[in-house]
Amino acid sequence: MTLASKKLSLTVNDKTIDAMDVPETMMMLDFLHEYLNLTGARMGCGQGICNACSVVVEHDDGTLQEARTCITGAHWFAGKKVRTVEGHAKRDASGAIVGLSPVQQAFIEHFAFQCGYCTPGFATGATVLMDQLKRNPVARADLEKTITDALNKHICRCTGYVRYYEAVRDLALNTPGLVKA
Amino acid sequence: MKIRTLLWIGVGIIGCLALFALGVFAGLFERTAVAKDIDQPLSADQMKTLAKRGAYVAVAADCYACHTAKDGAPWAGGFAFETPFGTIYSTNISPDKEHGIGNWTRAEFHRAMRDGIGKGGVHLYPAMPYESYRKMTPEDVDAVYAYLMSREPMNVENKKNDLRFPFNIRQVLTFWNFVNLPGGTLASDPARSETWNRGRYLVDALAHCGDCHTPRNLMQGMKQSEYLQGSVLEGVLAPDITKEGLAQMGFDPHILSVFMKSGLSAQGAMTGQMFDVVHFSTQYMTDDDLAALSAYLFDLDGLPKQSTPPAPPKPVEVAHDLAESARGTYLNLCSGCHGVDGEGIPHVVVPLATNASLRLASPRNLVHAVLHGIPAQHFPGLERMQSMPAFKDELNNQQLADLANWMRAVWGGKQPDVKPEDVDQVRRGD
Repeated sequence: MTLASKKLSLTVNDKTIDAMDVPETMMMLDFLHEYLNLTGARMGCGQGICNACSVVVEHDDGTLQEARTCITGAHWFAGKKVRTVEGHAKRDASGAIVGLSPVQQAFIEHFAFQCGYCTPGFATGATVLMDQLKRNPVARADLEKTITDALNKHICRCTGYVRYYEAVRDLALNTPGLVKA
Repeated sequence: MKIRTLLWIGVGIIGCLALFALGVFAGLFERTAVAKDIDQPLSADQMKTLAKRGAYVAVAADCYACHTAKDGAPWAGGFAFETPFGTIYSTNISPDKEHGIGNWTRAEFHRAMRDGIGKGGVHLYPAMPYESYRKMTPEDVDAVYAYLMSREPMNVENKKNDLRFPFNIRQVLTFWNFVNLPGGTLASDPARSETWNRGRYLVDALAHCGDCHTPRNLMQGMKQSEYLQGSVLEGVLAPDITKEGLAQMGFDPHILSVFMKSGLSAQGAMTGQMFDVVHFSTQYMTDDDLAALSAYLFDLDGLPKQSTPPAPPKPVEVAHDLAESARGTYLNLCSGCHGVDGEGIPHVVVPLATNASLRLASPRNLVHAVLHGIPAQHFPGLERMQSMPAFKDELNNQQLADLANWMRAVWGGKQPDVKPEDVDQVRRGD
C-alpha cells in the first residue's frame, strides 16, 4: 500500500526543511520521530490530552504557541517555525550543548522530574508561559493561578507537579520583568 | 355630529380594551388546572407511600438539573437561566421552612406546578416549565410534592433575579399565561396504544421536551404549530425531534431509546444541556418508559421488533478545490482523533461519518462544536468521551465554512451552502 503524499516545507529548530515528501495523513509527531529523528516530543495518550507531545510554534511576530503534535497533521505546520525540546538549549557550531535554556536549568535545579517522559511537554509549556509573561507581566498575587492555568493541561504520572511548579514560579520571580512589582 | 359619535365609539373601544387588560393583569381570566379537592392535605402515611414513587416522577420530570446549581446544595436552586429579558435563578425547593417549600401546602405546590403561581399568589417565570407540567396528573404532582418534602432541608437563600422592566414585575405574567397556558391534564387518546399515550405524557408533560425543542414566539411561548420542530437555545440548535427530524439525523426508535439511556450512539454523544438531561434524568428511566417516549416521538403504538436505521445520506459532490483544501484541514486537525474516514475511536471519540450534526439542515451545531470545543464527559456505564479542543483561534471563517461544507457533503449528504458569514454569526454568539 502506498500512502498518498504531499511536499512539506517548514523550519524545525532553525533548520529549513525543503519540500520533503510526507504522507498527507501523517501526524506531526510521527514526522518528527521518523523523518527528522527528533524523538524528544513524546507519544503519550495519542489523543491530545496529556500534552507530552507538544512543541513550540514561533509566529512571525515573535510570539510563541504550544501545539500538540500527536493529533495535528504534519502538513498543518507547512511554512511554520517549530521548536522541539532538542532546540531549547544553546549549542555551538558543532552542535554541542553549551547552555541549557532558563526553563531547562530551573527544572534541573529543582529536580523537577523523575522518569522524564512528560518533561519535553512541560519544558514547552513553561517556555511559552515565560514568553507570555514577558509580553504581559502579571501581578504577584496572580502568579500562582497563571502558572496553574498555563500548565494544568500537562499530565505527569510520577507526581512531579510540585517541583515543576516551584521551578516555574522561581524562574518567573527571578527573571526581571515577568511579575509586576 | 358624526365625528363626535366615532370619537365616542373609539374612546369606548379603548376603554373596554383597557378594562380587559386590567382584568387580565388582575388575574381575573386565569384558569386553574388544580381541582378543589387538592385543598385537602395528604396524611403522613400517604406522604410516605407517595414519596417513593415521587423519586421516579421527579427524575423523569428532571427537577434536579435546574433546581441545583453546579456544586450547590441539592434542591437549593441558584441555577442561572440567561433569557432575552435578563437572568432568572431557579429557587430552593428543598423543604426548608425559611427559603424552600417547607411551609407550602399540597394545594400551593399543585398551583405552582400547574398554574405557575407560587405561595402567596406570586407568579413564577415560565423558565419553570409549568406550561408542560400543567399536563401532569394530580397523582404525579402529589408524588413529587411528597418526595421533595422528604428531602433534607437546605437553608440556602434564593438568588435575586436580574430582569429588565417590565419583566421584573411578576404580575405581567398574567398576560403570558392568558395567551400561552393550555387547558390541563392530557386526556388519553383511545385510538392509540397505552405505550403511545404514556410516551406522549412523558414527552409533553414530565420530560417537558417541547420546552427546548419547540420554537418560541415573541412572547417566548411555544409555537404549537411547530411542535418539537427544533429551536436555537444558547447558541446551539435543539434539533427537530419529530419523526422526520429524528430520521434525518439517522435515528430509528430503537437507537433513540438506547441513546436516551446511554447518551451515546453512532449518531454522536449528548452534549450541552442534553448531556444534563441524560445525566440527571433519562438514564434512570425504565426501559418501558424509554420505549414509550421513543415510540411516541416516532408516532408508533410500540417499538418495532427490529431496528432498521434509515439509509445513510448520499454524498454530494463538491468542487475539486474546496475538497482539496477542506480535506487537508480535516486530515491535519480532525483525523488525529476522528479518524481518516471519520470512524472515530470507540469509547473515546465519536465517529463523524454517521454523526447527526452533519445531517442537520442547519450547520450551527457542527460549527459551534468546532469553534468552541466540547468538554470531556462521563456517560453512564463507565463510558467517557474525551474533550474536544476549540479551533476558534486556528481556523478563520472561510476555512471553517469550507471544512463544514466538505464534511456535510461527504457524510451528511448536504449541499455545500455554508458561508463564512454563517460561521461568523456562530462565532459572535448570535
